[in-house]
Amino acid sequence: MKSMKDIIIGQMEKGPEIMNEGAVAKKIGKDIITEKNKTDRIVRSIHTESLNLIVSEIHQVTSDAKAIRFVSADGYLPVFEAGQYVNIFTEINGVRTSRPYSISSSPKQRGYYEICVARIPTGFVSDFFLDKVKVGDKFEANGPQGVFRFNPVFHYKKSVFLAGGSGITPFMSMTREILESGADREIYLIFGARKAELAIFHKELSAMAELHPNFHYHLVLSESDSECNFRKGFIDAKCIKDIVGEIEGSTFYMCGPPVMTDFCAKALEELNIRPKDIRREMFGARQDIQNEPGWPSNLTGDEVFKLKIGDKVIDAKSSESLLISLERAGVRVNVCCRSGECSLCRVKLVSGNVFLARGVWARHADEKFGYIHSCKAYPSSDVEIEF
Amino acid sequence: MKNYDVIVIGAGNAGLSSAATLALEGKKVCVFEKHNIPGGCGTSFRRGRFEFEVALHQLSSMGTEEKPGPLRKLFKEYGILDQIEWIEIDSLYKVNLPGGLGVALPTTRKGAEETLIKQFPEEKASILAYFDTVYKFCGEMDDFAAASANSTGGEPSNIKKLLTQALFAKKYPYLAKYALKTTDEVLEDFFKSKELQLCLSAYWCFMGMPPERFPFYILAKCTNIYIEDKPFYLRGGSQVISQALTEAIKKAGGDVKFSCGVKKIVVENGEAVGVIDANGQEYRCKKIISNISPIHTYANLVDRELIPREAREYLSGYTVGISALTCFIGLDCPPETIGFTDSFNLIYDDLDANETFKDAYTLFPDKDPIIATCYTVDDPKVSPEGTSIITAGTLKYGTPWEELNPDEYYETKYKAANIIIDRLEKRFPGIRSHIEEIEVATPLTHMRYLNHPGGAIYGYEQDVKSSFVFFPREVFIKNLTFAGGWVNVCGFGPNYMFGNQVAKQVSKEVK
Repeated sequence: MKSMKDIIIGQMEKGPEIMNEGAVAKKIGKDIITEKNKTDRIVRSIHTESLNLIVSEIHQVTSDAKAIRFVSADGYLPVFEAGQYVNIFTEINGVRTSRPYSISSSPKQRGYYEICVARIPTGFVSDFFLDKVKVGDKFEANGPQGVFRFNPVFHYKKSVFLAGGSGITPFMSMTREILESGADREIYLIFGARKAELAIFHKELSAMAELHPNFHYHLVLSESDSECNFRKGFIDAKCIKDIVGEIEGSTFYMCGPPVMTDFCAKALEELNIRPKDIRREMFGARQDIQNEPGWPSNLTGDEVFKLKIGDKVIDAKSSESLLISLERAGVRVNVCCRSGECSLCRVKLVSGNVFLARGVWARHADEKFGYIHSCKAYPSSDVEIEF
Repeated sequence: MKNYDVIVIGAGNAGLSSAATLALEGKKVCVFEKHNIPGGCGTSFRRGRFEFEVALHQLSSMGTEEKPGPLRKLFKEYGILDQIEWIEIDSLYKVNLPGGLGVALPTTRKGAEETLIKQFPEEKASILAYFDTVYKFCGEMDDFAAASANSTGGEPSNIKKLLTQALFAKKYPYLAKYALKTTDEVLEDFFKSKELQLCLSAYWCFMGMPPERFPFYILAKCTNIYIEDKPFYLRGGSQVISQALTEAIKKAGGDVKFSCGVKKIVVENGEAVGVIDANGQEYRCKKIISNISPIHTYANLVDRELIPREAREYLSGYTVGISALTCFIGLDCPPETIGFTDSFNLIYDDLDANETFKDAYTLFPDKDPIIATCYTVDDPKVSPEGTSIITAGTLKYGTPWEELNPDEYYETKYKAANIIIDRLEKRFPGIRSHIEEIEVATPLTHMRYLNHPGGAIYGYEQDVKSSFVFFPREVFIKNLTFAGGWVNVCGFGPNYMFGNQVAKQVSKEVK
């Protein structure tokens, strides 16, 4: 006797026909074995989760900055969008940490990725890259990520890049891409630096500007002496207006230290630029977090609190993010942007209080259920968290 | 080695609900999730001032407080019902026809009938007869499901079989007539107007099968439950449910491990006995519920020589389903500025939905029907005041995207998005000039985050031969079972409830 299922289907209109279709499908269908590792293979060619990089070249670009080029240990560097970053892991004095660096090379070539590291006072990772790293050194990194990029669906073809210090790097990638591919775009790059000799890529940018009429490059120096023929001061509304002329129909991109981008944001507001036409690159933990708006006035930054995670209790300094404290204590944390956007380092705040720096892209659910991004959370009491 | 009663692979909707059920029944359960957040499809992401819902359009089966539906009851059992701000949506959907006519259906049967009669008065009798058929059909489906649930399990006696053979069609005439029909087969029987047919077939896009292949029983069930239980959304989107379920599992003593996928299922003597996680840690358990695709479960997690031949033969009868190309759009204006009035929209630029659906096999969305949801219509607080959120996209198969050279990927993605925006611009003038954020998800994006073959968003193709009594639910490795959209009617409501149902069964088996 047939199975109950077959009997019931047999009583339905089109039943035998559908049963037959099913039987045929089984015969001609694809064996699941052919799918083994297939999605991994496809996804990896575009979004590679982790990279194994080898330093291939190091160039001193200013007295305080180096361009470092990496090739892939496994032969393939994934595609990326100009403006994206790679988060590079290091182990320094036994502490595993990482830093996100914008790629400065053009996405049109993927023989290597270039990043640029500038010295930051008290920056122990930048010191490491500038003083210790040599050709042949190996690093792990997250594949390219980030949303600071040109989006042709709604960005104008006229781009105004406002760069400060090492914030030039994503613009270098964007500019190289546009000029090398002959894209129908126009670029105004306004680059703020302390002195001309500290402006990373200054020579290369000047040469590119000479060659390409659609690329306008302006250096603005805050500490220049009277001899030099660069613009002096800061990137304010007047400066932007003077250089760009017709500001209507431009998309503005800002990348630099928070002090600089805050200043530029105000300038753009004065110029009545709509938020949709302003792109601002995220920024990592600032060295002077005590100066962040909203910082608890009763804290000096030197307090050391207890941070509990699972069975572990570690020290956590009020001026260091929970992420840094966890890394110092050797706790492995999933991490990528270190700037509050990607949410990989998200943890649950079980008890205690934290100060949340600006720029966190929390989800509604995070706020509702007490999750925080550890890269932008600073303890203001003893704290307990869980993954 | 740590021991659990049940290990759940994947914190998708059905993975979470099954774990919640098991934990509440006192079972030792652990969920392994490779991402750092729960939800699978049930998630969201941030861009600028906006938080974008990834997958949920309208939650089914909720019912109202006065007349609770099965999902509301389940969420109450989980203790999460009151943690969430539910939002009742006030229209089923709006079908935007070629030429500009738009028909929005209210959420009552009477309202829907009247709206359609007003628009298509010459087919009044057929409209009434159609809704009557849908309701009677669904009534029989419920009766049949209840009768099946009461049966003792195992193959029934020959006498019972003979009785069924003789009486089934008499007892369940609507089931016998319609259960294996496609949407078009039924709608063409009832109606002359192609426009009217499109106004009634809209739910095909929830399953990614064009009307000529979309099972009528799913259409009928959707129509029936969305009217009876009303469509719902919630503040904060589906990520809130995913997170609430996670908290419920933990509160009941269950473990949920994030950023920790399963690398291998340990099979001994033909039985699943445990898993090895991404860090190489081994765990033992009595049962495994896989919330990931059966394809990956077998092909990637089980040693090749241990994959039962029957499983391979059985699953080869199912085709990997469709993915999507979606634009997540944040606008710097309220929806009414560009004339967007309804929550859920299906936009046709051509009356032949089956023919334009063929574009789903190509890269670019030149003609395919566009599915567009404005979350601001449901919840004005979904984004900052004066802004709005719309997601608009088309269903697309993964293959042409898989074949792209990686160097062409970003350019292709933006080009495809541009086509969608151009088409929306015709219906909603000004939309492009108000875009403040737009993120584009392709089939490869879905593949990246869901790890589904083909970037499938609804699991296997759900045509007549692959659905209803045909879902790939059979178990070939003892103690390894499945819960999720790959083995069930895919959708948020169905998956939560199916996860619960699977867990109840598993719970009985682990004493």
